[in-house]
Amino acid sequence: MVTKTEETELNQLENQVENGGGGVWEYLSLVRKLKVRRSEIVLKHGLSILNDPGKRSALGPDEWTLYEQVAIAAMDCQSLNVAQNCIKVLKKKFPESKRVGKLEALLLEAKGMWEEAEKAYTSLLEDNPLDQVIHKRKVAMAKAQGKPSLAIEHLNKYLEVFMADHDAWRELAEIYVSLQMYKQAAFCYEELILTQPTLPLYHLAYADVLYTIGGLENLIAARKYYAATIDLTGGKSTRALLGICLCGSAIAQLSKGRNKEDKDMAAPELQSLAATALEREYKQKAPAKLNLLSSALRSLKISS
Amino acid sequence: MAEDLVLDTAIRDWVLIPLSVVMVLIGILRYFVSKLMRSSPTPDAKMVKEGQVVIRARNLKVGANFIPPRSFRTRRFYFTNEENGLLHVPKGEATNPQAAMFSDPNMAMDMMKKNLSMIIPQTLTFAWVNFFFSGFVAAKIPFPLTQRFRSMLQNGIDLSTVDVSYVSSRSWYFLNLFGLRGLFSLILGDENAIDDTQRMMQMGGFGFDASKSLGAEKDGLDIIQHEWALPRFEQRAESVLRKLVK
Repeated sequence: MVTKTEETELNQLENQVENGGGGVWEYLSLVRKLKVRRSEIVLKHGLSILNDPGKRSALGPDEWTLYEQVAIAAMDCQSLNVAQNCIKVLKKKFPESKRVGKLEALLLEAKGMWEEAEKAYTSLLEDNPLDQVIHKRKVAMAKAQGKPSLAIEHLNKYLEVFMADHDAWRELAEIYVSLQMYKQAAFCYEELILTQPTLPLYHLAYADVLYTIGGLENLIAARKYYAATIDLTGGKSTRALLGICLCGSAIAQLSKGRNKEDKDMAAPELQSLAATALEREYKQKAPAKLNLLSSALRSLKISS
Repeated sequence: MAEDLVLDTAIRDWVLIPLSVVMVLIGILRYFVSKLMRSSPTPDAKMVKEGQVVIRARNLKVGANFIPPRSFRTRRFYFTNEENGLLHVPKGEATNPQAAMFSDPNMAMDMMKKNLSMIIPQTLTFAWVNFFFSGFVAAKIPFPLTQRFRSMLQNGIDLSTVDVSYVSSRSWYFLNLFGLRGLFSLILGDENAIDDTQRMMQMGGFGFDASKSLGAEKDGLDIIQHEWALPRFEQRAESVLRKLVK
């Protein structure tokens, strides 16, 4: 996670670098440390250092790190020639290195030579079967080739060992949602909520999935998670407010004719409050679209 | 009190300073030797998985109230059931870390290397100090100390009448051994500093007993009373919205 102070520092340095000031190396180091993706700028300025023999040798052993960084940034920008040159230099310096092997596989992947890349990754995995990066690359490759079910298979295998990796769970959840496998996605989102119970985004996504699955029980649960999102964001999440309204009307439809005594089912106050909050927000921020909203709410039979 | 002892300046030139210099040099030498001998640890899949299971189970324990009751129960069953639950360790299989250490030559080898790089130079220097500089006073601390410090500062001198602020040469060696850490972290960089005291601690409590922490997590999960927190959130959301609308 990038904290606020780190981000401002990064942006400051970026400004300075972009406007021709010094501090290029500091900027590149910071980008590496924070693992942010600013490939274009990294490529432009990293390359300018690498092309200047004086500056390059001033870095000492960090020179090779820079080659690696620029190679990855170049692949991200589709400057495959630059990447190839960087990797060539690295290969010359470290002929046996696994790290360079990874870069080579990455280059194959960037060129779209899937089978060769797959082969390269497999041989790298034989040396170190627990390399998380390579496992993740395999998933990314499956995704890039448009084979989500293969990606799911890889991810499941990965998660069997690294089951505390929440980024992988999140990826899996998103793939499941894209394939409309909502039950599985719900499981993944539960797992994500467990790892970070105070992050409203996961509550919101889980609620969306539950609402999509449908059924009275799930709808009630979805409303609860929308409520949790509202609580955690301080009522700022428009999506959650809308979700409450939708859930309310869906529950009302499904529970028609059943006994209304069940306290769990109806939360009329929450619903009307959500509607009012929505109307207020629209009035403030997008008054032109207020009509759309109120007609939508009317069709949900929430506001009179 | 007896009169002040006069320390020969030759002691300073030939004992105090050489001893410190030698200790520093040995420390640096040892750092490079251990760097040469260090083998990068290859983690074992089972160990990694157990660590991850423990983290995930801990997450479940902490966040239990945030997921619906049914989801919680299925997860708990997944972790703790007696047949193939992830946290369930069959009685016979609970491996003793020591036994594992002996069965895995690599591990024993690693530890040996670590210990050798620590123990050999230490015994050698200690023997050297003992042989050449034993039994005399090497320095004086410029402030008085209580009797309790006698064993620390006057190791190797069995005289109870000497003032405690005098430091024997052997004690000077020990003070250097433990006190040079700050200097090493300056010379060799922060992470690279060899830390004797820490290594000694490691020797004592070696080995991470996975089956024990798995068992502890299992017990922790078994006793959790699940109480879904979400119904409460509806009321909280209501109050948040009410404040917002007002």
